[in-house]
This record gives sequence, C-alpha cells and structure tokens, in this order.
Amino acid sequence: MKLNIDGLLVYFPYDYIYPEQYMYMLELKKSLDAKGHCALEMPSGTGKTISLLSLIVAYMKANPLEVTKLIYCSRTVPELEKVVAELKNLMDYYEQQLGKGKPKILGLALSSRKNLCINPEVSQERDGKNVDALCHKLTASFVRTNHKRDATVPVCSFYESYDAHGKEMPLPEGVYGLDELQEYGRKKGFCPYFLARHAITHANIVVYSYYYLLDPKIAEVVSKELSKNAVVVFDEAHNIDNVCIESMSIKITRRTLDKCQQNIDGLSKQIQRLKDCDAERLKTEYQKLVQGLRDANIARETDVILANPVLPDDVLKEAVPGNIRTAEHFLGFMKRFLEYMKIRLRVQHVVSESPPSFLKDCYQKVCIERKPLRFCAERLNSMMRTLELVEIHDFSALSLLCHFATLVSTYAKGFVLIIEPFDDRTPTISNPILHFSCMDASIAIKPVFDRFQTVVITSGTLSPLEMYPRILDFRPVTMATFTMTLARTCICPMVVSKGNDQVAMTSKYETREDVAVIRNYGNLLVEFCSIVPDGIVCFFTSYIYMESTVAAWYEQGILDQVQKHKLLFIETQDAAETSLALLNYQKACENGRGAVLLSVARGKVSEGIDFDHHFGRAVIMFGIPYVYTQSKILKARLEYLRDQYQIRENDFLTFDAMRHAAQCVGRALRGKTDYGIMVFADKRFARADKRSKIPRWIQEYLKDGLCNLSVDEAVQVSKRFLRQMAQPFSREDQLGLSLLTVEQLDQEDTKKKLQSRMQYV
Amino acid sequence: EAIQEDEKGSLQASVDDIISKAKKRKLLEKIKNVRLGMMRHLFLIIDMSEAMSDQDLKPTRLLSTLKLLEYFVEEYFDQNPISQLGIIITKNKRAEKVSELGGNPRRHITTLQSLADKVCHGEPSLQNSLELAHQTLRHMPGHASREVLVVMGSLTTCDPDNIISTISMLRDGNVRCSVIGLAAEVCVCKKLCKETHGSYSVILDECHFKDLLTQHVTPPPATASTESSLIRMGFPHHQLSADKEERPSMCMCHLDSKNSQGFSSTGYFCPQCKSKYCELPIECKACGLTLVSAPHLARSYHHLFPLDQFREIPTAQVGSNVLCFSCQTAVQELNVYICDNCERIYCLDCDLFIHETLHSCPGCASSRQTQQSAKMAGFS
Repeated sequence: MKLNIDGLLVYFPYDYIYPEQYMYMLELKKSLDAKGHCALEMPSGTGKTISLLSLIVAYMKANPLEVTKLIYCSRTVPELEKVVAELKNLMDYYEQQLGKGKPKILGLALSSRKNLCINPEVSQERDGKNVDALCHKLTASFVRTNHKRDATVPVCSFYESYDAHGKEMPLPEGVYGLDELQEYGRKKGFCPYFLARHAITHANIVVYSYYYLLDPKIAEVVSKELSKNAVVVFDEAHNIDNVCIESMSIKITRRTLDKCQQNIDGLSKQIQRLKDCDAERLKTEYQKLVQGLRDANIARETDVILANPVLPDDVLKEAVPGNIRTAEHFLGFMKRFLEYMKIRLRVQHVVSESPPSFLKDCYQKVCIERKPLRFCAERLNSMMRTLELVEIHDFSALSLLCHFATLVSTYAKGFVLIIEPFDDRTPTISNPILHFSCMDASIAIKPVFDRFQTVVITSGTLSPLEMYPRILDFRPVTMATFTMTLARTCICPMVVSKGNDQVAMTSKYETREDVAVIRNYGNLLVEFCSIVPDGIVCFFTSYIYMESTVAAWYEQGILDQVQKHKLLFIETQDAAETSLALLNYQKACENGRGAVLLSVARGKVSEGIDFDHHFGRAVIMFGIPYVYTQSKILKARLEYLRDQYQIRENDFLTFDAMRHAAQCVGRALRGKTDYGIMVFADKRFARADKRSKIPRWIQEYLKDGLCNLSVDEAVQVSKRFLRQMAQPFSREDQLGLSLLTVEQLDQEDTKKKLQSRMQYV
Repeated sequence: EAIQEDEKGSLQASVDDIISKAKKRKLLEKIKNVRLGMMRHLFLIIDMSEAMSDQDLKPTRLLSTLKLLEYFVEEYFDQNPISQLGIIITKNKRAEKVSELGGNPRRHITTLQSLADKVCHGEPSLQNSLELAHQTLRHMPGHASREVLVVMGSLTTCDPDNIISTISMLRDGNVRCSVIGLAAEVCVCKKLCKETHGSYSVILDECHFKDLLTQHVTPPPATASTESSLIRMGFPHHQLSADKEERPSMCMCHLDSKNSQGFSSTGYFCPQCKSKYCELPIECKACGLTLVSAPHLARSYHHLFPLDQFREIPTAQVGSNVLCFSCQTAVQELNVYICDNCERIYCLDCDLFIHETLHSCPGCASSRQTQQSAKMAGFS
C-alpha cells in the first residue's frame, strides 16, 4: 500500500498496517527532517524493521542529496538475515509498483569472514578467529608479493581475482544477503568478504553488526570511510551502553602477560634477522615515523573518515617520539612496560586507581612517560607491517597490551583500573586480573553521533527512555514510546508478591536463603506447570541463585512435582550444553510433552532467543535481576555516573534491572497473534519506581488489581486468560482495530485514536 | 480505543463479542448441497488423567464431562441415526477401549455412567489412544466417515514414540480428529486437528462446552477421498402381536444376556432374514443389512438442505422500535436479521436458535404460501 507520511510518499509492501507502525514512521520522519537523533520504543513483533526500511528508503528516494546511506546495525546473524529478507520484500514491491522506475538501491549485509568465506580450505574452519588468521595468511600484501616471486607460496585465488578485477566492477544494484554475496562471489570468482567490505562505501543500505561501528578496532578497518549523510539505526539497542563499554574495556591476566613475553622475544628475533638481511626496510620505516602520522591527520581534517576514539586527535599531529622510533628501542620499551605490569599484577589485595595515578606510578618505578605510551598501538601496527608477519593472530596478546597502553595514557577520565588478586568466588586461588574498565558509554559512541546526521536508537524495551540520552550523552530530537494496539488482550502481566501462606516473595539478599521463600517460588512453578500448556521459561537473577534454589527444590521434592507435568531443562554457562538443552526444550514443546526452561537473566537465553507461541506461553521472573552489586567495576561505574551525569546509584541499578526484566518477559510475545503470561514474582515489582520503568506496552495491561497477587490468585487469573486466548481469532477480528487499510488510515477519527497510542518522553 | 471495557474495567464484553461473531460466522459457513459424511464412525477419547479431577468444572471435570457426553451421545444418535460410536479412555500413559463401535446409544450411556466411579490418575497418552482408535477405524468401509473426538483435560501427553508420525498416519488414513480442550490451547492438539482437518476448541465454561459438543453433532462435509457408494438398507416394521399365532421369541440384541429382557412377541423384523430386534437403528447380526426406520433418515434431511441464511441489516434501516417476529421483544442490538422468503425480522438470538435448533423459519411456516415456496427453494 502507498502511504502519505507527512507529505512523503512511502511504499509499504503489505496490504495492512498496524497503527503503531504509522505513528513510528511519522516520528522517524520528523527526526530525519531535523537531521537529529532519536530514540524510539516499539514492542517487538509489531514490524519495526519494515517500518524503518520503507520510510528511510522512501526518504532517500525523495531527497537523494540529503540522505545517501542507511547503516542498519543489528546484533546477531539471524537478525541480520531477517532485515535483509524484509528489504528484499520491500524492493520487490517497488519493482511491482514502479517497474523500471524503481529506485536504484544497492543493499548488502556484511558479516565476519567466518560467515562469508568461500575458499574451500579456509571455510572449513569453525572458529571465527582461525578463519581470520588463515585468511590473513593467504591475503596479506607481503604474502602476495612473495607469491609473485615464488609460486609455491599459497594465496587465495578468490582474493587474487577480486583484487585484479573486482574493484573496478561495482556490484550491480540489488539486495545482497550473506548467501547472495557468496553466490555472486562463486559465480565471478571473487572473495565475497572483501567485495562486501569494498562495496559498503558506495552501497545505499548496509546491514551489519554493532561492533563494526562501535568497536574502535574494527570500525577503524571497516567503517571509517562511510559517508556523513547517513542514517544509522541501532536495532535492539537496549544494551547499547554495555556494548560501548565492552568495546573500550580491556582485561589483562597473568597469562596475557606471559604471552606478551613470548611475543616480544619472537619479535626481537625477527628484527635481528631482518637487520642482517634487509636493514633498508627498517630505515624507511624510521623515516616514515619521523614524518609522523600526518597523512592520517590530513584525512581526518578533511573529514573523510570516522574518528577513532583509540587514536586521539593530537597523536596524529605529532611525530612518534624518538625513544620508540627504532624497532629495537620500541621492543626494549615494551619489555620495560611489561615488567612493570608484571609487578603490578603481583598484588595481595584489590587495587583500584585512576589512569593518572597509574601513569605517575609507572613513571616513578620504570621511568616510562605518558607520551610514548600513547603511541604504542600505532607503533606496533607499523612494526607488524614492516616485519611482514603472517601470524598476526599469535600477537594478539601484545597488541592488547599496546592498546591498553594507548588508552590508559590517553583518557584521564571515564576509565578505571582495577587489579584483583583473585576471583571473588575462589578467594584461595591466586588469579590476578587487571580490569581496565571504561565507565562512560559515550566515549565509544561519540564519533558515531558526531559524524552521522541521524542516529536512530530503537528496541522493544527501551524504558525508561530518558535514561539513554543521559548515559550516551546525546541530544535526541524525538523520544517516543508506542504501545501495541490489540484486538484482544494478548498479554497478561502480573506481579505475584506472596505465597499462599502469605509469606512475601522476594529475591532480596537477606531473605534469599529463607526456606519459606524458596518453597513459595517452588509452589508457584508447580502450580503454573499444571495450568500452562507447552513451554514455560523461568528466569533467575544469577547462576548462583539458580543453583542454590534448584538444589533446595530438589530436596523439597518440588522438582519431582514439576516433572509430573513437564520436562525440565536448565541453562548452563556452557554454550554447547545450553543450545542442546534449548533444542530438546523446543522438541518437548512441539510434541505436547511440555517443558520448563530454567535460565538466567542476562544469559544467552534472555537475549536473542525468541519463545514465540507455544515455545513460551508463560515467563516467570524469579526476583529482580539486579546486577551483582559487589563488583568493583560496577561500583566504580556507579560512582562515575553519579559524579559526571548526576545519575543516582539506585536509579541506575533499578533501570538496569528493569530493562533486563523487560527483555526477559518480552521474549514470550513476538507478534499480535501470539499470547503469553508474564509473571513478575517479587513483591518489589509492585513498587512505583519499578513499575513505572516497565515498558509502556506491558505497563498498560498491568492493572492495579494484578499487582499484589498470591499464587492461588495468579493461577485463577491465568486459567481464565488461557481459556480466552484459546478461542478462535482471525484477521477479520483485528481489522480496523489493530490492523488498518489505507482507507481506514485516512479517516479523521482514526488519526485521533492513533495519537493516544504514543507518548513522548 | 481498540478494546471496549465495561464499567468494571473488565474486558469480558469484548471477548464475548468476538465469540458471538464467531458463532454467526460458523452458521454462514454452512453451505447447502454439499456432500456430507452421513455414515459416521466416531471414537470418543476421554482423558481420565489426574488433570480431570480438577474442580474448575463442578463437581469435577470428569463428572461434568461425562454428563455432557451422555447428552452428546443421545443427540449424536438422534441426528445421525445411521452412524456408530465407540469410547476409549486414556490414563496412566495407557489407552483402553471401554466400548466397541456400535449404534446403540443405551450401551454407550451405561458405559459412560460406569466411568464416573473410576479414579483419575497418571498422565494421558494421546498417541496410544489415537493408535487404538485408528486400529478399528482402519477397517471401516471407504464410504463411511472416520472421526475421532478427544476430550482433553490434561495439558501434556506422555507418549512412547514420536506423535508426529501418528498424526501423519491418521491424515493418510483419512481420519478426522477433533479436540476439545478443557484448560488451554496445546500446540500438539492444534497441529493434530489442523493436519487431519478437524476442529480444535477450548472451553470457557460448561455452557460453552455444551455448545462445542453440539457442533460435533452435525455431520462434517465428506472429504474428497471418501468413496461414494449405494447402501442397502432395510426398513423393518414394528410388529405388535396382532397375530394370535405369533409366539414370543428372543430378540437378537439380547440373545446373550442371562435375564429375560427382550423376550417378547413384539419387535422389528429384518425384511431380509426375519431376525428380530428390539430397537433401531442396528446392523442385522445375521445378514449384515443396515436396519433403520424412515423417520431416522428423515431427521438427517436438514443437514443436507439447511435453512437459508437470514440477511443482516442495520436496525436503524428498518425503523424505530422493531419487534422480533419470534420472541416479540424489541430488538436492542445494532443489527437485525431478515428472512428473504417471508421477510420477517428476527433478533440475533432467535436467528441462532432458528438455524441451530428449529431448522425451519417460523415466519415461512405460518402461512401456506411461503411454506410451499420455501420447500421448492430447498429442493432446487
């Protein structure tokens, strides 16, 4: 259908549209017009992706000079494939409507080598790191030069033919998913990975993972040349601050340092050898370093590339300091730094300090200044290139250390160094770890906000919305949250606050071990097992809590009762084990045996795995998933947020817990024909500060009457709900209410109704 | 607002609305002149697992179910006189046939009554009971419709093997499986019904349960793969001992029983072999002829020629203060229903009653002229 969104003609590839999709497009258009950023919350399963794509493509068609590119960042490969499929659908519709007049759009997905490689030997590898290493072994520039001299040196034929012809031959317009890229690569004999990496500079729509834009190490390689007039979309962005922080944080263990030692030894041998046979090369490198990184600086000033937070501006303006210019001096320098780090890791108690005090200590102990440290990462890269090293992968430990050196000397604020002599859980085993932790999510994402004209942050659960601009430090043009229009109430949220014996249910630390609380949680599970069909997913606050609770349930005989009705599966920290459990869980749901999955909020299951329809008829949240508050890193971050952004500790903790809770319960509902029960089993959920942070589309149905239920009452409510939801429900019932045609959309009263489905924040 | 709440803030009203709409739609779906599987062979599978002792239906799910099933069995034979029925129960992961396929409602009702004393325990096995039903239905002639109706209280099934293969076997065997759930929608049941072209429904309360059972009383449309064939039938007369010479004799149905029941001079005599039976319909034990009475067959008539649908028009169009022709009350709803033949006006409830129960329009029946024309329309 063709829509008129505030004067813009939008082609929408379906015959019907959800009211909230229409509103979503309106808001999106506003921020595109204003060339500003926005944060939008819309429930999962209401067609966020297609709304985004159709509006932005239409906008690009109407204003080809204003917006030239769409960068769609998603989290996982399946999600990425979903976006590509929707995009294809949209382009087919354009073709069908306009024939040859359709816009010329090149859309493509980019993923790691592991998912794209078509080299028969390399693609055999399962592990992503190995694929990267093998690929590098075959395609590095010096390997190829060697190949020209000596034909026995293996190279990748796909890369060779891509390098010879592929760069001049741009990809024909169309939409390329990962499979299409591979197919095209096979047909032409080109390497799909490098083809795609090259093509993203002139593609109109790029779909890839967050990390390609947020992780400075990867963004430097992949995304730095993307055009300024681009719209960046972060989908499923409720965790974006953690992604930013992770990409800037570094963890160094004693093993890392041991490996560094080996790396340095290996490098010095290499240098010795090179000196004997080809001293010229080292000299040219030296000259280059004197020249400084001026080229990079020019490039940045003329604004062709994305800024890299690891490589600060002033580094580029200066020459590399004299004491690390020659290769031997640099290695000697690194050796000293490494020894210093080793000393630092030999601690008996927890140390927490700021980067300046670390640098000061470093200067006093081993006379290493701040300035050369800042150049470490660049200097190492340069050396790697000069030495023509094939196994880059082997030197990851040393490059990690160099990154650390650069970061610690660059940022005086926003980071903290924490050295822990042992793990909290095993206080007797010495296992020192140095956490260099980023506390400010805005550092990693700042270049993105600065560079691109519109950044869209969207997810099914972004509540409370006002928190995101604060922690990411940006000023949005619009922030809005949309609710689901439903022809029937297909979600049933409830807060179960007490057992049948009136003992309060809570995962509060003090009462956690209380037998009565555990027993009540057990009863809740048993009761729900007997009334909910097919799958139930339960979330605990942590692995430790789950283990202790399940052990107690076993002793109380609760597990036996559960198993009378359903099979029991448990998520563990082992990924392979968990995916096997998931597979069997789904099987049990399919064939009517029914199953319970016990998992952990913040675990693999709670993010990214959908439990739609019979795979999750009920989700039970045992307790509020607060993050482990005793962690030093978290404490440092909370302190930082309080000082810098005036966010109180409690506010942030509650915000973080509630977004994870919302994410967990949101797993059950993946569309308007789906239905599910959401049980919040903790009396604290009923408090206003928690309740108000639940996404609006859930909150709307969490009536006061459902906020303080005992187990029995919850069972009665659920029983009635399940019976009502099992009644036949067809599209005709939705039409006009939660599903609109073009004509219905144009009516005046519909428009008025629509306004109430949205709320600005 | 998408969903209307009533004063108490409950959403019951909107759900009710959807249900009544669905009811009306179901009626509209009834097309006439369609081939129906009139000779039905139906297996009732009753769940007797622990879940059936739940008290959300009063007094217990099992007792309530059995009572409604008694009514169902009566209705079933009333509407489908030439059909047969059998009963299977499942509990403790096993299935047991408590009543063989047969056309005698009384036998089935006694069986149902005897089930009330049994204890419910363990889990049901959907697969075992479906296999058991299929074993018998497999041997039924090709022109008969094969059906299974499951009344399921439990939300789980404990099966020895993969149930998906059983479902495809039933589909291939042309067995139509329907399920009535007593608690909630179970995925595997939904799949079973979808694959085998049955219907799946979940009850809201006892009333709705009864409605759903009633829906299974009318014969389903025959599937393309059922054969069509002519069936020989006998129409025995009920002979009262007018003739003095007639001696009392045993009827075939009670031949094996110890007591003297069935020992009389009256009964139905098979026109082909003269065996005596005390009730109809039945299949002659001696010569295999299907024995029915003419009124039985006539009762199936309305299935083949259902009453025409009434036209729905807004109440405002007809004028103010409209009275329903059949119940004589003022119509409150937004729409009224009008019979195209006699042009009388009915309210929704009367419309449903006329189409579901009466099968003839009171307006047309009240005058000879319309009565005639209605009949002609039915045959054309």
